[in-house]
Amino acid sequence: MGQTIKATFTGDLLRKYGLLLALVLLCAVFASMSPVFMTERNLLNVLNQVSINAILAIGVTFVILIGGIDLGLGSYVALTGCLAALFASSGDALFIPILLGILGGLLIGFVNGITITKGKLAPFIVTLGMMTIARGGALVVSDGRPISNLSPSFNAIGGTFLGIQIPVLIVLVIFLISLFVLNKTVFGRYVYAVGGNEEAARASGINVHRIKLYVYILCGGLAGVAGIIQTARIETGQPNIGVGYELDAIAAVVIGGTSLSGGSGRITGTIIGALIIGVINNGLDLLNVPSYYQQIIKGLIIVGALLIDRKS
Amino acid sequence: MKKSLSLMLVLLLAFMLAACGKDKENSGGNASGSPAGEGGSGKKIVIGVSILNMANEFTATLAKGIEAKGKELGVKIIINDGQKDPNKQIQQVETFIAQKVDAIIFNPIEAEASSPAVDKAKAAGIPIINVNSVTKSAPDAFVGSKDQESAKIAIDYLAERLGSKGNLVMMHGHLGQSAEIDRTEGAVEALKAYPDMKLIAEQTGEWNRDKALTLMQNWLQAHNGQIQGVFAQNDEMGMGALKALEDAGVKKDIVLVSVDAIADALQAVKDGRLDATVFQNAAAQGGGALETALKIINKESFEKEVFVPFELVTKDNVDQYLK
Amino acid sequence: MGADLNVLEMNNISKTFPGVHALKNVNLAVKKGTVHALMGENGAGKSTLMKILIGMYTQYEGEIIFKGERLAHSNIKSAIDAGISMIHQELSYVPNMTVSENLFLGNEPRNRWGVVDRKKLREDTQSYLNLIGVKLDPGTLMKDLSVSERQMVEIAKAISYKSDVIIMDEPTSAISDREVERLFKIIEGLKKRGVAIIYISHKMDEIFRIADEFTVLRDGTFVGTQPIEGANIDQMIAMMVGRQLTDLFPRRTPEYGPAILTVRNLTKRGVFENISFEVRKGEIVGIAGLMGSGRTEVVNCIYGLDRSDSGEIRIRDTAATIRTPKDGMRQGIGLVSEDRKTLGLVLQLSVKENIMLPNFQLCTRYQVVSDAKEKMIADGIIKDLSIKTPTRDQKAGNLSGGNQQKIVIGKVLLGNPDLLILDEPTRGIDIGAKSEIYKLISQLAEQGKAIIVVSSELPEIMGLSDRIIVLHEGKVTGELTREEASEEKIMAHAFGK
Repeated sequence: MGQTIKATFTGDLLRKYGLLLALVLLCAVFASMSPVFMTERNLLNVLNQVSINAILAIGVTFVILIGGIDLGLGSYVALTGCLAALFASSGDALFIPILLGILGGLLIGFVNGITITKGKLAPFIVTLGMMTIARGGALVVSDGRPISNLSPSFNAIGGTFLGIQIPVLIVLVIFLISLFVLNKTVFGRYVYAVGGNEEAARASGINVHRIKLYVYILCGGLAGVAGIIQTARIETGQPNIGVGYELDAIAAVVIGGTSLSGGSGRITGTIIGALIIGVINNGLDLLNVPSYYQQIIKGLIIVGALLIDRKS
Repeated sequence: MKKSLSLMLVLLLAFMLAACGKDKENSGGNASGSPAGEGGSGKKIVIGVSILNMANEFTATLAKGIEAKGKELGVKIIINDGQKDPNKQIQQVETFIAQKVDAIIFNPIEAEASSPAVDKAKAAGIPIINVNSVTKSAPDAFVGSKDQESAKIAIDYLAERLGSKGNLVMMHGHLGQSAEIDRTEGAVEALKAYPDMKLIAEQTGEWNRDKALTLMQNWLQAHNGQIQGVFAQNDEMGMGALKALEDAGVKKDIVLVSVDAIADALQAVKDGRLDATVFQNAAAQGGGALETALKIINKESFEKEVFVPFELVTKDNVDQYLK
Repeated sequence: MGADLNVLEMNNISKTFPGVHALKNVNLAVKKGTVHALMGENGAGKSTLMKILIGMYTQYEGEIIFKGERLAHSNIKSAIDAGISMIHQELSYVPNMTVSENLFLGNEPRNRWGVVDRKKLREDTQSYLNLIGVKLDPGTLMKDLSVSERQMVEIAKAISYKSDVIIMDEPTSAISDREVERLFKIIEGLKKRGVAIIYISHKMDEIFRIADEFTVLRDGTFVGTQPIEGANIDQMIAMMVGRQLTDLFPRRTPEYGPAILTVRNLTKRGVFENISFEVRKGEIVGIAGLMGSGRTEVVNCIYGLDRSDSGEIRIRDTAATIRTPKDGMRQGIGLVSEDRKTLGLVLQLSVKENIMLPNFQLCTRYQVVSDAKEKMIADGIIKDLSIKTPTRDQKAGNLSGGNQQKIVIGKVLLGNPDLLILDEPTRGIDIGAKSEIYKLISQLAEQGKAIIVVSSELPEIMGLSDRIIVLHEGKVTGELTREEASEEKIMAHAFGK
C-alpha cells in the first residue's frame, strides 16, 4: 500500500512537472554541448526570441480552450505591425501606433468571433480566410514594401529596461494577467466550461457566443501586441513577416498539454511549450547544426517532448 | 439572423475588394481591353509581365522599372503578381497568351517549376524575356545580373576591410533558391583567393529580417569575440544582423555587408551603420527587359543575354543611389 | 442441473485500484442458454467485473473458467475470439459507414485478390440480421438508424463472432417500449441457440420478465445468486442496498399556493401545439407520454433551451419572455435536463466547477472568484445532497450516474429556483440514489417550490405527482389527479385514446 501511494505520488509529480522536466533536460543537453548556452546573456536572448511566439501562444491557448482555432496569427502580426509602423514613422510617435496596432488586432478578432458565432462558420475556415485578408491588408497598408524610419521612442519597445528586454517584461505581464483571468475570474471558468461542453454551458445560462467572441477578440488583441513588438524589434513594419508563426504558436500550446479538442489545458504549459521551441532554435544555432538537419531535429524533439509528457 | 449574416459577408467582401483595389489599379483595365493584335501600326503595344512577388521590395522595384520605361515609351504594361507560386505564374502566362499580348516579360520564381510558362509562350509564338532569374527552358532573351558577381563584390570588400584575414559568418537565403545557390557559389569561389579568411559558421536566415536577428544573436553567443565579418546574402537579413550587432554593442568590431541596396540598407550605409551593400539595379533590369522586348517586337537585332552589372555601395558613393 | 452446464464461472475475483478495493472475492456462474441478471447499485462493481471478463482489465486475482477451460486472455480482441462480447450502453460505431461495413469492421471478407468482397459482405450481413429476425438494409448508414436498430447491429456483430456469452449493459435505457419488446424477442432467440446473456439493468420489471437467475453485488462484494422464480422485488432491493426500502415515494400532504407557471397555447410547429397547463407553488406536476410525444421539447421551451413559435408563458401571473436559458434562470426556473452528459454536466470539469457553473454570482466580486467561498458553497451542496466523491476536485465524468445526477440537481438548486423542472430525473440511476432523489423532490415541494417531473417510468410519475398531464403527439390528451391516475389510464391517454 505504502508503495502504491509513493508510486502515485511520483506519478503525480511527473504529471504535473513532466513538461518542465523535458525543458530542463533539453537545457542540460544543450548546456553540455555548448559552453555559451547557459550564459546569462544567452538565456536572456532566448527569452527575448521567445517573446513573440509566447504572446501569440497565450492568445491561441484561450481560443483552443474554447474548442476553436486561429490559423491567421502570422498575418495579423504583419498587418498590425504595419499599421503601427505607418503611424510610428513621424517624430516621437509612441502611443498612437501602439493604440492602432492593438485596435487593429482587436478588430480582426472581433470579425473572426462574430463570423464564427453569429455566422455559424467553422473557426478553421473563418481564420483561414482572415489569414489571407490580413496578409492582403498588410500589403495594402504598407504598399508592399517595408515601412522603416520609425520613431526612436517606438523602436525602444524592442530595447531594454533595467537590463531586461522590454518584450520579455511584456510577456511576463501578459502571462500573469492571463493566469489570473483563466484561474480566478468567472470568465476563465466559463472558457473551460464552453470548451468542455458548449451545450451544457449554454444550459447553465452562460452566453456561449459572448464568451467565444471575447476569446477571439483577446487573441486578436494579443496578436496586435506581438505585431507591435515585432515591428519595434526589427525597426520596420514588414508586410511579409510572420508566415508560419501560427504553427509555432499552436505547437507551443499543444506541447504545453492543452487539448486541441478544448476544455482542458494550462497557460503555464503553453509558456513552457514556447520556451521548449525557443531553446531548440537557439541551441541548434549555437551548435551550428546545418539548416536541413535543424528542421528534422526540431520535429523530433517536439514529438519527443510530447511523448515524455504523455508517458508520465 | 440571416440579415446580419449577409451584412457580414458584404462587409468581408468589401474589405477584400479594398485589399485588392491597389493591385487592380496597377494592372489597369486590361482584361476587357481588346487584344492589340500584331503590334506596331498605330495600335498600342501590350506587354504582359509576371513578377515573382510584388510583396518583395526588390522585385516590386523591378516591376516599377518596367512600368516607368513603359510610360516613357508609350507601351501598355499589364503587371501580374506571381505571389511566389510557380503555378500561378504559369496561369498568368496562359492568360497573357489568350489575350494575345505582344510580348511577355517573365520574372520566374523557380528554374524548373516556372519553365512550362516559357515553353507555352514560345509555342504560342509570343516572345518571352526572362528578367532577373532564370528558367531551365531557354527564353527568347534574358536580362539580369549574375548573382555570383554580387557575392564576389561583397567578399572582396570584406577582404579589403579586414586585410585579407579573419573569421567570417554567412547568412544564406532560402535554401535551394537560385539566388541563394549562386550567391553561395560566388562567395565560396571568391574566398579561395583569401586563404587567411575563414568561414566559421553559415546558416539560413530565409531572406528574413527577424530570422536574421535571432540567428545573429545566437552566433554572437556561440562565437563570442571571434567574428570579424558578416556577409548576409540580402539586405533584409543584413538589417536584421545589423540590429543584433548594434544591440550587443559589437558593431564597431565587425564588418557587415549585404546585397540588394534596398532603401533601408542605403539609408543605413549613409548613416554609417551598415558598412556596405551591393546594388543590383532592379529598375535598370526592368527597363532593359522592356527595351529588349520592344526590339524583338519591332524585329530589330537584340542581345540574347544582357547583364546589368552589380555595384558596390559604401558611404562614399551612397548618395547617388539614394533617391 | 449440474454445474457442468455453466458456460462461464468467475471464481473469487478480486481487483484493487490504487487505494481502493473495487472487487473482493466475487463469484459469478452463468448457465448456457440462460439470461443472467447482474444487479447492484452503481459503484457496486458490476462494470469492473465485466471489464475483467472482456479483457479490458488484465490485472486481477481469481480465475475465469470459460467452457470448461481456464481463460487467460490478454485483451479485448482475445476475449472476443474466445467467445465473449459486450453490447455497451454507449454504442461505438462508425456513423458514416453502412450496417454491413460496421458489422465486419476489421474483419471484412476478401476475395482472392485481397479486395473486400462487397457481395459476400452484404449477403453475410443479411444472414446474420435474419438470424436475429431483424429487417434492415445492410446498405443503410449507421447514422441513419435509431438507437435500437444500432443495438440490433451490435447484437448481430456479437453473433458473427460466434459468441457464447453476450453481455448487455443497460440495453433498454434509450429505446422505446416497442423496441424493448423486439429486443426481448431477440434475446429469447439467442437463448434457444444456447447463447448465455449477462443482463445489466436497473429496471426490475424487465429483469423479472426475461432473467432466469440473478446475481447481486454490493460495494464490490458478492451478495448472492438466486433463480428469479420465487424472488420478489423487495427482497432483491434489500440485497442490493443492504437495507429495506419500505417507502420509495414519501407521503406528503401537499399545500398549494398561487400559480407559479402558467402556460397558454404554447406551440412549436411540428413538435407540439396548444399546450396549456399551470403549476402551483408546492405542487408536483408530472408530464407523461411516450418517447417523441413532445414532453422534453415543452419543458425545454419553458426553460429557454429551445424557442416556441407561439403561445404564452406567464411566471407568477406576469408574461415572461424566455429566449435563452439565462432568461429562464432569471425568471426563477431551474431545469435538470434528461441528458445529463450533454446538457447537464461538463464531464471533464470538477464536481466543484460543475456545481458553481451557473452560480458564480454567489462567490464573486468584480468578476473575480473567491476560492474560499466557492469551496464552501460547493462543499455545502456535496454534503446536503450526499454526493459521493473523493474530493470536490474530482472530475464529474469519473462519478457514477447517480452522483452525477445529484451534481446537476445541486447546481440547479443553488440558483434557488421557484419552479424546478426535472426531466427523467432518475434515468440510469441505481435504486438507492433514486430513493434519495425522490425524497429530495418531495422535500422541495414541501418547502414551497413548484415542480414539474417528466418521466417515462410510470411508477415514478404516479408516485411523485399531485397531478399528471399526458401528452400524445404534441398534444395534451389527458390530465389526471393523483387519485384518478392508474397505469392503464395514463397509457390510454399516451396512446391518444
